[in-house]
Amino acid sequence: MADTMLHTSDVSMGPPRQGALEKFRADYFGRPSDVILTLGGTALLVYIGWHLFQWAILDAAFSADVGAKACEAKAGACWSVIAARWRLMFFGLYPYEEHWRSGLACAIAIGVGILSCVPYFWTARRLTVTWVLGFAAFVVLMRGGVFGLSEVTEEQWGGLSLTIFIFAAVALIGMPLSILLALMRRSSTPFVSVPVGLLIDTVRSLPLITILFTVAVVVPILVPSWLQGEKLYRVIAGMALFFAAYQAEIIRSGIQSLSSGQDEAGRTLGLTYWQRMIYIVLPQAFRRALPPTINQMVITFKETSLIIIVGLFEFLASGNAAYGSGEWAFAYVEVYVFIAFVYFVFVFSLSRYGAYLERRMRIAQH
Amino acid sequence: MLATGPHAIRVDRLNKYYNAHHALKDVSLTVENGERIVICGPSGSGKSTLIRCISRLEDHQSGDITVLGHRIGHDEVSEARIHREVGMVFQHFNLFPHMTILENCTLAPIRVRRMSRADAEARAMTFLERVHIPEQAHKYPGELSGGQQQRVAIARSLCMMPQIMLFDEPTSALDPEMIAEVLDVMIELASDGLTMICVTHEMGFARKAADRVIFMDQGEIVEEAPPEVFFSAPRHQRTKDFLGQILSH
Repeated sequence: MADTMLHTSDVSMGPPRQGALEKFRADYFGRPSDVILTLGGTALLVYIGWHLFQWAILDAAFSADVGAKACEAKAGACWSVIAARWRLMFFGLYPYEEHWRSGLACAIAIGVGILSCVPYFWTARRLTVTWVLGFAAFVVLMRGGVFGLSEVTEEQWGGLSLTIFIFAAVALIGMPLSILLALMRRSSTPFVSVPVGLLIDTVRSLPLITILFTVAVVVPILVPSWLQGEKLYRVIAGMALFFAAYQAEIIRSGIQSLSSGQDEAGRTLGLTYWQRMIYIVLPQAFRRALPPTINQMVITFKETSLIIIVGLFEFLASGNAAYGSGEWAFAYVEVYVFIAFVYFVFVFSLSRYGAYLERRMRIAQH
Repeated sequence: MLATGPHAIRVDRLNKYYNAHHALKDVSLTVENGERIVICGPSGSGKSTLIRCISRLEDHQSGDITVLGHRIGHDEVSEARIHREVGMVFQHFNLFPHMTILENCTLAPIRVRRMSRADAEARAMTFLERVHIPEQAHKYPGELSGGQQQRVAIARSLCMMPQIMLFDEPTSALDPEMIAEVLDVMIELASDGLTMICVTHEMGFARKAADRVIFMDQGEIVEEAPPEVFFSAPRHQRTKDFLGQILSH
């Protein structure tokens, strides 16, 4: 350690460093064209910023007590619609007096998500226990029918809780499925690799919307009713398959980027196929495939909003309903800005977490 | 199951093809228990292919390989058995970069030999001491020099207590100043009575540690002799040419 520090200070004594102010001046005011761009750009930003600020804060109405009529008369944003209708957006058609259950379930799902991001939980047993308990708690709270909770069927689920439920279930089913598909596609037996390759390529060449329509509309026509299951679960299965097809290729690319020597070293140490996969190949493949994996998670989270077209009442659909009823109809911009903000919070945390993981792995591996 | 014969390894008329390329042509070789063999030869001569066939990393098309009395290539059980009894050291080390040195050394003893973590770590430390780097145990492979990594790779193989060790050009990927530290470790191992087959061009090592030197060219064993005979009185012209090339500089 002491050695490294000595080296760093040696290096910093080398070339003279540019002052921050000089660098700023050179970068932004170096040439006449730079001056024009800098000043013009700043003016534009200030102009837009000021108007946004005026609209969103200064002239806006915040309280739910402000009626729809008074709110519409205001020059700025009418956030009152959120204050008045947030329960509908977050919980959908879930029975009003049971909203606490949906809220708690949502918090548990987010909590489990955060816990599984902490390195302490990264053992197969801890992750499995956390997820199984979390999932069970979520379903018990949402569905009820036990422990004196009144039953709320899946058709009444909605809002942000439903969005998070679908995302978590898709990731939970899709991730192991994608690993399996990736390994099967790499199988040396053509009886395994060819059909799996065909399946992956077929699913990838279909738009998600057609898959959603198939599971929601076509399956009830073709499949006997006792085999159909709830529409919600068919949609989750369809999305999980779609996710797995893409994620399998991401994992496969990670595996392919490893040198064959890694697997050979495992073989000569006597490790079985699954031991080599679990301890040697997959951990390294996942590290290499981390940026596209986070990307795929982000895309999947946003794609949950597509299920609106098969009549499930997720967050975006609930938002539509929040302004759709007569008196608040004028406030759709505020509602969509709020929805965008909530999506942003989730997706941005996801990508920040990805960046943290990459940093952490660089340190561990050099 | 066949009885364990007196030989550690017996290769009988082995043939190996890579598509149309005939990589090994009727190669036969017998290695006794405790014997140290050095295989040398120009690149493409089949020397690496031979030991990769013995360690089951490559399939052969015809001929027999018997390791510790097990005919290999015929059933899963003997294959798993061979991997437990035959250690291999690679040109490019192939350490697992996401694990510490200690984890590299304990993975197989814990998962394959079913040792307790404490026992496996104690054994790993013993072998890391034997390759002279116990102080690196908690670092990652990327933090070590090439010579240190190769010594860890040797320790990792030894932790499985193999009866036979195969070395596939263990010093070819190393900078010159690191070759000696790896060869020193290998010479120490040789004096411990382990059966060793080493593919290498380090003729100094062959002189000091080998019982027999084998020269291969174009997929065939051209000549085999004890080192003192091999270096002073090679019989074949191809051997003389090869020795002339590698000993001239």
